[in-house]
Amino acid sequence: MTELFKDSSIKSARERIIFELIKGGLTATRREMEALISRTSMSPFIREKKDFFTAILNPLGELVVSTSLTLAGNLLDSILETYPLEVMEDGDLYWFNDPYSSKGAVSHLPDMVFIMPAFSEGRLIAFVECWGHLWDIGGSVPGSISPSATSVFQEGIMIPPVRVIRAGVRNEEVFRIFSQNSRFPKLLEGDLNSLMAACQLGKKRVEELALRHTAVAIELAFEEIIVQTEMAFRSEILSRIPNGQWSFRDRIDSDAVSTQPYFIDLTMVNKDGDLSLDFTQTEKQANGPINFIMHDSVPKFMLGLFMTQNITGIGMNAGFQRAIKAVTTRKGSLLNPNSPAPLGLRSHSMFRVNSSLFGVLAQATGGFASAASSVYVLYYLRGKLPSGGEELCIEGLSVGYGARSFADGLDAVYYVAQENYPVEFAEIQFGVTIESFSIHEDSGGAGRYRGGCGIIRDIRVHLDEMVLGIRIDNCRYPAFGVSGGLSGSPGRVILNPETSASREIKTLSDGNIVKRGDLIRIITPGGGGWGCPYDRPPVQVFEDFLDGNISEQSVFTEYGVVLTNNKKEVDVDKTSSHRKTLKRPTKMFNRKIQYDAEDDRDDKYQV
Amino acid sequence: MNGAINFDPDMRFSIAIDIGGTFTDVVIADSNGKIFKIAKTASTPENPSEGFVHAVKMAMKLANANAKSIDVVLHGSTVATNAILEGKGARTALITTKGFRHVLQIGRAEIPRESNLYGWVKPRRPIYTRDIFEVPERIRYDGIVDIKLDLLVVDQIAKSLTEGKYEAVAIVLLHSYSNPEHEIQIAEKLSKLLPNIEISISSEVLPVFREYERAMVTVINASVQPLVGRYVRQLSKELSGLDVNCPLFIMKSNGGVFPPKEAARSGVYMALSGPAAGMNGAAYLGKMAGFENLITIDMGGTSADIALIRDGNLQMSTAARINEQPLAIPIIDIHTIGAGGGSIASIAPNGAILVGPTSAGANPGPAAYGLGGKLPTVTDANLVLGRIPANLLDGQVTLDVEAAHSAIYDHIAKPLGTTVVEAALGVISIVNETMHNALKLMSVERGLDPSDFLLSAFGGAGPVHGAELMRLLSAGGLLVPRYPGILCANGLLATDLRYDFVVTRFQRAGMFNYLEMSKVFKELLIKADSRLDLDNVPVDRRALSRFVDIRYAGQGTELIVGFPDGEVNASTTASAVEAFHDLHQELYTFADRGAAVEIVNFRIQAIGLRDHLSPPVIGVTNKKSPEPTSTRSVVIDNSGPRLINVYRRDDLLVQDIILGPAIVDQLDSTTFILDGQKADVDKYGNLIIKEVGL
Repeated sequence: MTELFKDSSIKSARERIIFELIKGGLTATRREMEALISRTSMSPFIREKKDFFTAILNPLGELVVSTSLTLAGNLLDSILETYPLEVMEDGDLYWFNDPYSSKGAVSHLPDMVFIMPAFSEGRLIAFVECWGHLWDIGGSVPGSISPSATSVFQEGIMIPPVRVIRAGVRNEEVFRIFSQNSRFPKLLEGDLNSLMAACQLGKKRVEELALRHTAVAIELAFEEIIVQTEMAFRSEILSRIPNGQWSFRDRIDSDAVSTQPYFIDLTMVNKDGDLSLDFTQTEKQANGPINFIMHDSVPKFMLGLFMTQNITGIGMNAGFQRAIKAVTTRKGSLLNPNSPAPLGLRSHSMFRVNSSLFGVLAQATGGFASAASSVYVLYYLRGKLPSGGEELCIEGLSVGYGARSFADGLDAVYYVAQENYPVEFAEIQFGVTIESFSIHEDSGGAGRYRGGCGIIRDIRVHLDEMVLGIRIDNCRYPAFGVSGGLSGSPGRVILNPETSASREIKTLSDGNIVKRGDLIRIITPGGGGWGCPYDRPPVQVFEDFLDGNISEQSVFTEYGVVLTNNKKEVDVDKTSSHRKTLKRPTKMFNRKIQYDAEDDRDDKYQV
Repeated sequence: MNGAINFDPDMRFSIAIDIGGTFTDVVIADSNGKIFKIAKTASTPENPSEGFVHAVKMAMKLANANAKSIDVVLHGSTVATNAILEGKGARTALITTKGFRHVLQIGRAEIPRESNLYGWVKPRRPIYTRDIFEVPERIRYDGIVDIKLDLLVVDQIAKSLTEGKYEAVAIVLLHSYSNPEHEIQIAEKLSKLLPNIEISISSEVLPVFREYERAMVTVINASVQPLVGRYVRQLSKELSGLDVNCPLFIMKSNGGVFPPKEAARSGVYMALSGPAAGMNGAAYLGKMAGFENLITIDMGGTSADIALIRDGNLQMSTAARINEQPLAIPIIDIHTIGAGGGSIASIAPNGAILVGPTSAGANPGPAAYGLGGKLPTVTDANLVLGRIPANLLDGQVTLDVEAAHSAIYDHIAKPLGTTVVEAALGVISIVNETMHNALKLMSVERGLDPSDFLLSAFGGAGPVHGAELMRLLSAGGLLVPRYPGILCANGLLATDLRYDFVVTRFQRAGMFNYLEMSKVFKELLIKADSRLDLDNVPVDRRALSRFVDIRYAGQGTELIVGFPDGEVNASTTASAVEAFHDLHQELYTFADRGAAVEIVNFRIQAIGLRDHLSPPVIGVTNKKSPEPTSTRSVVIDNSGPRLINVYRRDDLLVQDIILGPAIVDQLDSTTFILDGQKADVDKYGNLIIKEVGL
């Protein structure tokens, strides 16, 4: 073998080709598992929204191939505490959803984890796993998650690691106990069946691969796949991040049960490619459900996926974890809360962990990081049907993502792989009318690359009375802009807008009573911009105006572009002379005003 | 025309012309199975109608046929496909319900599962939001009008359309599948105001729920309408010019054909017609050869298309995507992967060996083509292993073995520290694995056992990989069609007129309204029959079947199952529901027979049967084992090159048996048979390859 492969444990060309075959087979196996889940699950959350994850692990529980969702800690360890490797049998399938015992590897209760060992040549060679977000697992409200939760015990039933299938025989009693606790047991059972079938399929495929290529070849391939990812990430770190130390703080509007804001604090240190990420100065844990038991894999996966985005053939796996030296959090903080702090809205903190990483990266690389994205929005409408049953409408709504150093931020997206409901589906399914669904004009932060826009959804209520829960972050603290880009615009919720009865609803709240005929307008926030807006080509600014992404006013005030009198084109000369008179931003970040990272780190966390 | 005209009044001909990106395939066959001539010629992408005429003339010359003896001309075209893929449709506007002008920009708000969150960019939609106009109106899902259409706004929109120089307009209003009245009113008014603009309305193109998906299909249809219309009108004119006055039929993505007039209205139905013709050919040849369950792989220069045939039928899907965007019309369920003869092999900086999806295409092509390509491809690997001959197309093309050798050496063997042969074997095994995984996804994922299926490998590159794929997949055998390189043109001969009519009508669980269901089917049936009337299809040549889309209550996706003939009542509905449970069980490993189900869409599939020409029967051997024409040094595996027998496909006769390892060369492809396999020749000249002892 040549220089390229000097560090690899796969020595011959023939073995290397077999490695490629195994890698292809593992990737295909995971896709088959996903195909099975997306087709067999019952609840709209998994079927339509595709809120699920699949992976193949080595016997240590390290990810080898997986879905590119960054909520993916080591799910095996907490199982091993009850069921050590030596008691595991062929055909066993393990199940749990307890975030605290898994140290955040599963991050909130609705995500049900299933893991199954695979055997070959008489030994355990791998695990396959999947998790899916279940529709309702009990708890204080239909759908289980509520912005007003103050304890994890209000968020549904907790399953400790259990061996739900033992050597191929399913424990029906456990299922009966569990499904009794759901308001929608049929959907729940369908989803559980689907997830378990996917594990069984994955196990079979991995064992077939081992039969074809030998168990040793599989084990070698697992390690090589991880090492390829690790090497790719390490070389990106070395070439792009200098030695040094950078700190950044990003903020969350509130914990939904009080008006107190929270912050995530991060200090990144690089010493010759050894990165450590220190989150210990983060605000104390919250009473409301924004607590996030951050498994230390999460920031590693985020940084890894971000930095290797242009490298072909690199998947998310334990290589990203191995490439980063340390991640530290403080016990009792937002990112390492004590039980029973509620966790249902942990994505609000997760997104700020992500933007804090961008914050330190931007400083380390002279601005080559994304601007901040807003966190996705959900609303919950719960009501009694005339028939006596319960109506439950949970819709995920899209937001604007941060602009990148090479492209605009994404307009109107939710999160990886998750689709919104068509209006024509929601109306018949949930008994509401969606009166309009459009882009939230001017919500994307201005920049050389524009931040993504949020959306506006108008929902008319048709039941006598319903209770509205809503979660929108990034309103008090909109998504920041980077390198001269401006911050995104906040979201809002208005009841009966443009009428005399119009009133604002808190963007993070539950228990709002709405009546028949009320119109709920949900306006979601945009993402931050990247680079100075005066550098954006005027024609792109004009096109954004035509497409309803920015207003006529912003064309001039934010971007310094002058249109001709009939507004049918850009006045090129006037634009360029006007832009020359404008003062360009001098600081790295923008949130309503421009600032540098050290300007925003005065307050100390509470104990 | 030159030569003697073959004016036997009983001699009736069909011509099939499949125009692909690089080559145009031509077949002319007579109804008695005596004449079957094929030709391959370069396509003329800048002016496809010119290529079409050239191909028709060529066909007539091949068979010495005169214009009056042509019964039908069948045509597969990429005109619509290219316009869609390259975003080169007409300047198109969309009119939609007030409040929904961002319907395309928002889409389903998803970031694709396999993409990198941080690097992904939303694909450009076929039109911009600035091309979308709103009208005040609102119809509910049950068809009741909540807000009456304000037709005055249409006058203003017409003005904007003229000013904006739009050539086509799509009209997509919310819930129009349940009540098309407003869409029709707008269309009628617009066609009066702007007689020259092409109009597509969603309640005609695809009256099913899900507004983004319906809008995409309707907008794409509008945008290809002018182009396809001009094209098919030109074809008809050219045929008249040649005095060929028989019907012309155009290939659709659903495996059927339609007449030019319908194509001009519904061009979107030609979107993915290219591979559909080939799959149709595979299904037809399979049926003739006695095999109704096939997994097909059409491996060309840049990609491989995979499809499934069960009980002789191609599988349909409404979940096709183009450029990561949905195309929700019924399309043959084809899975395309970036694995073809031109797929480039490389070693990434992190050491990964990649084969495809990047392709050298036809230009510069593989290194061996000597057209300037320096990167090694699958074809180069096959060449250095001796699996394909250095002379292609009967010596019309000579491949440069040296160039293939050095490309593989420089880019694969040297960095891997191995020999060219081992590197080439690696390239082949990796591309085979890619295809194997995709084939598996098509079959095993659906609970089907590949050993119950024959693999059918065609396209220029398919037969050289088929035997290895069959072995990897443990398929029940391999069928290599007599003319694997022109199967698309061949497939055209076996097409029927085929239309899919569909409409969304929600039937809630436990509240089925049989009267209404019956009415919906009746309305679709009237549409279907009047369509076939227009095509002059006699009643005894019509096959109409009913289908429904069913889901478990609350599910977001549906399954299509047959609805029995006869009265729509509790019993026929129950058997459709039962079929749904069965299909759910088969596809998804479980069914919930206790759960409530909803019927969402009603469908009629209308087929106008055409006479299909049997492929010509070849002669019977008297020797059983044919004479090899030569031997060639071929690398089969790591044990090094072996001298193996080479046969000429044209020499093979019925009942000939070839024992592997062997090579069968022919004008349009090469078949590679492995050790331990044997090939039988059937009466149509197809090779049926099986593992010996199985």
